Amino acid sequence: MQNQLLDIPQENQLTRRLRGTIAWNLVTTIFHQSRFRFGLVLVLSTIFWAAVFCLFYDAFNFIDSMHAEVMSLLFNTFFSALMVMMIFSTGILMYGGLYRSGESSFLLTCPLRTEAIHAHKFTEALWFSSWGFILLGSPMLIAYGIVRDAPWSFFIMLIPFIVTFVIIPASIGSILCMLVVAGLPRLRLHTLSISLALVAMGILWFSWSTFGSIQSQALTPAWFEETLSRLAMTEQVFLPSWWLSSGLLDAALGGESRELTHKSTLEALKFLGLILANALFLSLVASWVARWTYRKGYSNLQAEVPIRRHRKLFWLDELLSHAGSQVGNPVRLLLVKDLQIFRRDVSQWSQFVIFFGLLALYFYNLRSFNYSHVYASLIGHLNLAVVGLILSTFTTRFVFPSISLEGRRFWILGLLPIHRDQIVWSKFLFSFVGGLIPCLGLILLSDSMLGLPWSSIFVHLMCCLALCGGLSGIAVGMGASMPNFRESSPAKIAAGFGGTLSLVLSAMFIILIVITVGFTNHLNLLQQTIGQLSGNTASRLLGSYGGQVASLLIIIAGGLLTTFLPLVLGIRAFRQLEP
Amino acid sequence: MIQFENATRTYGNKVAVSDLSLTIPSGELFALLGPNGAGKTTTIKMLVGLLRPSRGVIRVCGHDLITETRSAHLHLGYVPDEPYLYDKLTGHEFLRFIADMYRIPRDLSQERIKREIDRFELHEFADELAENYSLGMRQRLVFAAAFLHDPDVLVLDEPMVGLDPRSVRIVKDLLKAKTADGMTVFMSTHTLAMAEEMADRMGIMVQGNLKFLGTVSELREQVDMETRSLENLYLEITSSETGEHEVASDDI
Repeated sequence: MQNQLLDIPQENQLTRRLRGTIAWNLVTTIFHQSRFRFGLVLVLSTIFWAAVFCLFYDAFNFIDSMHAEVMSLLFNTFFSALMVMMIFSTGILMYGGLYRSGESSFLLTCPLRTEAIHAHKFTEALWFSSWGFILLGSPMLIAYGIVRDAPWSFFIMLIPFIVTFVIIPASIGSILCMLVVAGLPRLRLHTLSISLALVAMGILWFSWSTFGSIQSQALTPAWFEETLSRLAMTEQVFLPSWWLSSGLLDAALGGESRELTHKSTLEALKFLGLILANALFLSLVASWVARWTYRKGYSNLQAEVPIRRHRKLFWLDELLSHAGSQVGNPVRLLLVKDLQIFRRDVSQWSQFVIFFGLLALYFYNLRSFNYSHVYASLIGHLNLAVVGLILSTFTTRFVFPSISLEGRRFWILGLLPIHRDQIVWSKFLFSFVGGLIPCLGLILLSDSMLGLPWSSIFVHLMCCLALCGGLSGIAVGMGASMPNFRESSPAKIAAGFGGTLSLVLSAMFIILIVITVGFTNHLNLLQQTIGQLSGNTASRLLGSYGGQVASLLIIIAGGLLTTFLPLVLGIRAFRQLEP
Repeated sequence: MIQFENATRTYGNKVAVSDLSLTIPSGELFALLGPNGAGKTTTIKMLVGLLRPSRGVIRVCGHDLITETRSAHLHLGYVPDEPYLYDKLTGHEFLRFIADMYRIPRDLSQERIKREIDRFELHEFADELAENYSLGMRQRLVFAAAFLHDPDVLVLDEPMVGLDPRSVRIVKDLLKAKTADGMTVFMSTHTLAMAEEMADRMGIMVQGNLKFLGTVSELREQVDMETRSLENLYLEITSSETGEHEVASDDI
């Protein structure tokens, strides 16, 4: 019997069924094989959702009672920022999905329309790029509805508003991605780099012009007024974010009379219709662009000549290779190798730069706020926790899988005159030194911007040392104890049971360190600021210098224990390993 | 039937495939040989529609791959050197997906899925997720998927990599039977013995040019050598042409 081509609804049904089957198998696999991870993700997401809801609930209560007129401005700012982020995130996801994935190569050899392949990958990208929006936006909007005593129709309309809205920036991102690849394949990297640099500069300029040059003193009513007036630029009637904000604000109106509710709901529906019409139009444009450019762009990209670079030994590698004694040579060589891989793996260093760069930007801006000593101390401790948490995500994502990945190349390492312990030690040193340098810098920046006393800075630096050692010890030790040699993707190794456990233990370690030092340090500052504490003896003792020294000793001991215990266990396990 | 008419593909200034004109009729197994960087993979990518020729036309069963892509793909089966499978689909679900893609009626598709599962001995793992498959298992499933819709043209890129001897035998027998039934097979391989054993005709590509086109016996006649092993003949043809211009990427 002759094979037949599918029509458009059949193609859509086919890809929809494919995604459904994959999603179902994924969920059942996770539920059966990684219940711990599944439960943890569920619990943490719920806690996060609840925390965001409470935060917005309080904030909306405050704003509603004092500054109800700024609500529109806040919504516009929030949604316009999300819109810009979604354009870029979907564009990047579509690039990976349409042009760099094995699935797209496979589907392009099948009798499917390019529009169907685009729609399939677009749905995936839409989901990936908008889940953050849903996680952050849903508690905010529900909190707003409750505070404003919105009619039930508001809560019903939230879903179509969000779903239709996200299609607009996602379609724009997808269209831009396909046009750039089809039109400028050879310059795609340059175009992308220049675009990103321009956007980064634009954001910096916007931040600076919005907050940097405000004349009024920070956090005063005049300061707020000046800041809000600058954010008014997001209230443009042609922006989809304005349609969404206006629609939601209208949908939440009412309550006073049935007629008013009816009228505002109708207004909201008009905005929903406007968003829906634009979403459908842009989807059609994206589909049309896919039909005319996707295969051509894919082919052009495939035909690009790979750039062959003659890489010379970097000065740092040269320096490291020849530094120190002969005994430590294998560890140094392994370090140089890891350093070379890190430098050439854009996904590693770019995330490192983005996250630590954003933190540095935030810490640098702390000087705009003249906090009192007590608040500055609290914020300093929170910043310490944030630095630790960011570092723990890196140690879990990149350091934990490194032993498993090394195991895949074990036949090379096994033939070299290297002791297995040296492999583990080199991973630890790489993680410890690599984490310590930026973390110390960030803590110094944060504390100096907050104007903390040197004693507090010293304590924070010691904590940082303990955190870097402990987090590296946990990641390397557990990576050696629970390796996964079947998996080649570091992301999948990190997402397994060992990686999740490593992340949880890292988070617990960070909390313990920060609470231990934060509590005594904070009590000490309180004593200095408001004199002798009137509380019980325990508070006075903890707040004394003796208490501080004791907490410092606990941190040092805890740091050493968390560094070396997992490492020793990991080394023992690694010695017994038979890959 | 496959037709290349002056098919040329350039990568920047480098000509990966130059003016390839070749017709492979129904029922023929054609083997494309050549050193790394000769243009074999480029030829295959053009044939399956992943790369567009810079010049020239490629037709599958009379359908131009640029203007009638879907119709051409309807007649095409493809087994790449690095097969793609959905990790979160079972072998059975993947075959079902392929059957639906070619709009094979449900009762017929059940029959064919069973046929391919039997043929490639997939019973033991057909209901397991593909993420747990070994290289050989993956390759067998991809073969099953490629044969599922009874294509008129089958394109194979290094088809025997990862297969155990028993599976290799199954594939060889199947290819012989299918070509006897009229299927056209285009196969790229480095395994000279395989080409010698299987191919009706072979082409030897060097730096984007088809340096030889004919049967094994024609190849032996063309090159006058004392030791007439295919390996020596192949090396004789390719050694004079390859050299400093060879492109680093094996994928070209």
